[in-house]
Amino acid sequence: MSTTPSPVPSTREAVIIGGNRIPFSRAGKKYVRTSNQDMFTTALEGLVARFGLQGERLGEVAGGAVLKHSKNFNLVRESVLGSSLSPTTPAYDVQQACATGLEAAIAVTNKIKLGQIESAIAGGTDTVSDAPIVVSDRLRAALLDFNHARTTGAKLKALAAIRPKDLAPATPGTGEPRTHLSMGEHQAVTTAKWAISREAQDEVAYNSHQNLARAWESGFFDDLVTPFKGLTRDDNLRPDTSLEKLARLKPVFGAKLGQAATMTAGNSTPLTDGASAVLFSSRAWAEERDLPVLAKFVDAETAAVDFVHGHEGLLMAPAAAVPRLLARNGLTLDDIDFFEIHEAFASTVLTTLAAWEDEEYCRTELGLDGALGKIDRGKLNVNGSSLAAGHPFAATGGRIIATAAKLVAAKAAETGRPARALISVCAAGGLGAVAVIESS
Amino acid sequence: MTGSELTRAGAPASYGVTELAQLPRLGGLLAKGATGSVGKRPGGGVRLPEVAYQVADVDTAGEAAHLAAYLRLLGEPASEVLPAGFLHVLAFPLATAVMVRGDFPLPLLGMVHLRNTARVLRSVRLGETLAVRAWAQDARAHRRGVQVDLVAEVLVGGELAYRGVSTYLAKGFTASGGAAPADETSREEWTAPLPTARWRLGGGTGRAYAAVSGDQNPIHTSSLGAKAFGFPRTIAHGMYTAARALAEVGPARRGEKYEWAIEFFKPVLLPSTVDVAIRYADEVSTSSTNGGASTGERGFVYDGWRSGKNTRHFRGTVTPL
Repeated sequence: MSTTPSPVPSTREAVIIGGNRIPFSRAGKKYVRTSNQDMFTTALEGLVARFGLQGERLGEVAGGAVLKHSKNFNLVRESVLGSSLSPTTPAYDVQQACATGLEAAIAVTNKIKLGQIESAIAGGTDTVSDAPIVVSDRLRAALLDFNHARTTGAKLKALAAIRPKDLAPATPGTGEPRTHLSMGEHQAVTTAKWAISREAQDEVAYNSHQNLARAWESGFFDDLVTPFKGLTRDDNLRPDTSLEKLARLKPVFGAKLGQAATMTAGNSTPLTDGASAVLFSSRAWAEERDLPVLAKFVDAETAAVDFVHGHEGLLMAPAAAVPRLLARNGLTLDDIDFFEIHEAFASTVLTTLAAWEDEEYCRTELGLDGALGKIDRGKLNVNGSSLAAGHPFAATGGRIIATAAKLVAAKAAETGRPARALISVCAAGGLGAVAVIESS
Repeated sequence: MTGSELTRAGAPASYGVTELAQLPRLGGLLAKGATGSVGKRPGGGVRLPEVAYQVADVDTAGEAAHLAAYLRLLGEPASEVLPAGFLHVLAFPLATAVMVRGDFPLPLLGMVHLRNTARVLRSVRLGETLAVRAWAQDARAHRRGVQVDLVAEVLVGGELAYRGVSTYLAKGFTASGGAAPADETSREEWTAPLPTARWRLGGGTGRAYAAVSGDQNPIHTSSLGAKAFGFPRTIAHGMYTAARALAEVGPARRGEKYEWAIEFFKPVLLPSTVDVAIRYADEVSTSSTNGGASTGERGFVYDGWRSGKNTRHFRGTVTPL
């Protein structure tokens, strides 16, 4: 299983200049009837304004949405056309479930490192409030038959196949296509396997709210967020929540697993609307424009796990991706100053950490010589993460990258030594994307 | 089910073979079986007719639309290879024809499907001409009556491609053989494993599978029909659950040659949410509390139970050969 990683080929650097997002909002609240394109254009426009990119032809803009209508096939290009970037800026859509934003960043930074482009924006957007609704498969089949029919008789026959129940629309769910278990139910199985306690999960949620609230209060997000639709802060944030309040919530996932359910609305991420964008470039491009460089986007790794038949938990791919990424870059967990582990659920963070601490798991599943190690919890999601901010699927990667870049820049400025952040995002389909960034 | 039952080809030597020109139509057989069932009551020892039905040249070229509908319903990827479940469906009318014979001693309606084991020994592709044969054998004691094997075989160019053994129970009948075997599946305490999938089976599940399998048995398709046989609601075809598990393992992982087995416990009343664990055989605990199915090194073991309850519906295996 264990293979010696090839050395990282020497290419030029891709640097992170800055990020911008709109405040994230719980589904069905502030951003009702606001489209993905509206939100992503706003995030983009804020970034353009912040760094004076009006009229610039960027190398590329890449991003996407997880819940996307087929009419939005060129969502990112359409957003670029609606922004004040030069209309000669190319763009493309990416989709890798919750890892969409990070995957977009990996793609554009690779192009920068290879010298194919000088500058790029990566990001993502998602709305549950304005999610596409599709017709049932039976209605779709009947309508397609109708379209293909050449005679009136055949057209009538096609329509006659429609039954009243076929008219019910299908709303997008978070169910895995192969297992029909929702993401929460999948994670509940993983939580049960790793015997993660309710208390430990509530503590992760509590810390997320406390940390995000402190970051907002301290002005950390002042140059990372553009107010939108009257919202100036993430409206899922509960600065006043307490462990006692979290402990009173009823479990919402894992109720049918035959053991005590531990995952609640408090320690699981709510459905959220929002968008984010991050500006990357070569160092020369940034210097020519006198733009600040926060960090280098050092390297990234993706992984996938065999979850369909229960061998591994749905959201455990980052547990496999991180050791590979660290090994390739000659790093250990001790070399990391900030751990940005996406809080799909509090227990996702905890099962990932538990896996890295488990010697047998690391040996048999990850092909390591022993446990990867234990992280200092004081370095974990220090400015909050998805439990507090919310998680508009494709927008989360951009939120995390911008936060992490600012964190390492500040740490390096404070200590005079390089600082590193490890970013980890799990995704549907048993996928995961992780990255290392380092102060410049 | 013993391995020799599955690899041996052909009916027992004492059986005569009756050639039919084509596969019979299931609708007529079921009607005949329904009326014929009335007269079949427990009497002395059960004696099976020693006859195999055979159709020498079943052309599958016309089955494309039927196969596509089957694959779509069960979640099999589009393919021209006929899955074991489809071969079972194809041969089912011939097996049914045996069971509706006047001299078949057990009533078609009301028999309980206990288990099903099938082997695919060679891929069967759409368009190939098949020989199909079916017979009943081994009437033997069960603690609640008599169990009997309906065997169906599919041959391509004289080569055995598929052999399926469906074991049914006729309650209240007595076998000439004597006492029930001791090794029947234990009904001891069972604890549900963690699920790998959740099937939400709507009220129309029975009718949907009836449409692709032809098995219009009223216990699956009509509430009144189900009530007539003592069920509060329609029940899912056992073979639907088996075929769906087979589909979830999928062609890439079961391979060209495979064994597919299922043992049925409590029926799935519709609508229902069934939790399913389809796991690698070598990752399934072999403790006795998990029931009788053996867990080899290779292949998959699947369990189904009522979501959130300990009501066990089925356990089966899919094993590459």
